[in-house]
Amino acid sequence: MRVVVDHNLCEGNGRCAEVAPQMFELRDDDRSYVRMQTPPQDLRAKIQLAVTLCPRQAIRLIED
Amino acid sequence: MAALTLETLDLVNPDLYVQRGYPHEEWALLRKEAPVFRYVRPDVEPFWAITRHADVVNVSRQPDLFKSSQLLFVTQDEPGSPLPDEAVLRQLLNMNPPEHGEFRRVVNQRFTPRSVQQLKDQVERITTEVLDELVGREECDFVTEVSAKLPLAVIAEMFGIPRADWAMMFRLSNAMIGPADPEYGGSETIKENLEKARMEFFQYFNQLCEDRRKNPRDDLASALANGKAFGEPLPPFELFSYFALLIIAGNETTRNATTGGLHALISYPDQWERLKHDPSLAPKATEEIVRWTSPVIQFTRFATADTVLGGQQLREGDILVLFYPSAARDEEVFERPSVFDIGRYPNPHISFGIGEHFCLGANLARLELQVMFRQLAQRMEFVELAGPTQRMRSSFVGGIKHMPIRYRIRAR
Repeated sequence: MRVVVDHNLCEGNGRCAEVAPQMFELRDDDRSYVRMQTPPQDLRAKIQLAVTLCPRQAIRLIED
Repeated sequence: MAALTLETLDLVNPDLYVQRGYPHEEWALLRKEAPVFRYVRPDVEPFWAITRHADVVNVSRQPDLFKSSQLLFVTQDEPGSPLPDEAVLRQLLNMNPPEHGEFRRVVNQRFTPRSVQQLKDQVERITTEVLDELVGREECDFVTEVSAKLPLAVIAEMFGIPRADWAMMFRLSNAMIGPADPEYGGSETIKENLEKARMEFFQYFNQLCEDRRKNPRDDLASALANGKAFGEPLPPFELFSYFALLIIAGNETTRNATTGGLHALISYPDQWERLKHDPSLAPKATEEIVRWTSPVIQFTRFATADTVLGGQQLREGDILVLFYPSAARDEEVFERPSVFDIGRYPNPHISFGIGEHFCLGANLARLELQVMFRQLAQRMEFVELAGPTQRMRSSFVGGIKHMPIRYRIRAR
């Protein structure tokens, strides 16, 4: 699986970094960045939660 | 009273909202029996009423299939109402991608959690001053004396509008969002009310922009006046619309959440005691207040293609109405949704919307509400209603115009 944050949408609300800090970090430009290209399966549930909670619906989980 | 039926229930008559507040029983029936419901009534544009949380999310996250338009909300036709395309401004609420994102980026950096956090001291100070003015009395109108003042002061300061002009902003903002309400209008027709307010607003903002082009400052007015979309300065009408949107949206909804929040705390004394006992609950209480009050009643979308939603066949061009207060009471998402619980967690309400049009000012609104309710919990020793509340005549935003309270408040 891959995870993509759409930076046209992201406004740094930071819910993703709250629920899945291993996967997302909020940087100084107030946007969320993924910490790794191919996250391990055990992060899937947390990433899913981040996808759901994102107020701007800016995160996509793409299956390989 | 006659039993509620799908055939007769009413969702958009503004008088209903004055008399009874939100039609929660109607929405509950729709969620249960017809969550995507074809609403056809005389004097109302036919629409699909979307009442479940999951469907509101589903529609909101597909801004290309379900577009925003000039028709922001659906209401009963009334004599003297402006035509739908006369009533609106060209602003974020009725724009679509990619234009929406391009315009939103003109100011969105000023509303991120980090930027808003920098306003915290300012919000604390204004809140303290607002509450100080209640000291030494026992009764007040909570709306005009408290809940209206904080959001107005904060957005006006962000814009760099001098204090002497705040009262005018308050009056014009009321007239523009509630032109159908006799108290806010004053003219013969709804259309005239709207046009008069808009003209005054426009003239004021023009001067402000001219000034900020010559003498740019670190304020919202300068960001707009010198802002660009697609590499070009914002056109005059779009610029003015943006200003009106930010002033109105930064004003009305937080005001109504504040009033509705205190009303809920008065109605549920155990929750009021709980907050007074532990003011650190203010952030959770804020989420519950936003869920409970859901100050925006509806926004519309229209389908850009034939599609199926909730088992119903929608046609291209059909209007959908997203009822946020209904999503906020969805039994499938919230345990005991009709209970006001200031410790509720998790609280995945979507009363700020979700997706492309997610409330730009959500972080600011949260900060204002958190500070206000923490300070109220710390200072207000006693509060009760001192008379009937008066609701605004609108099926678009749920407003309380007046709420007399009797209280005892500590001096600082």
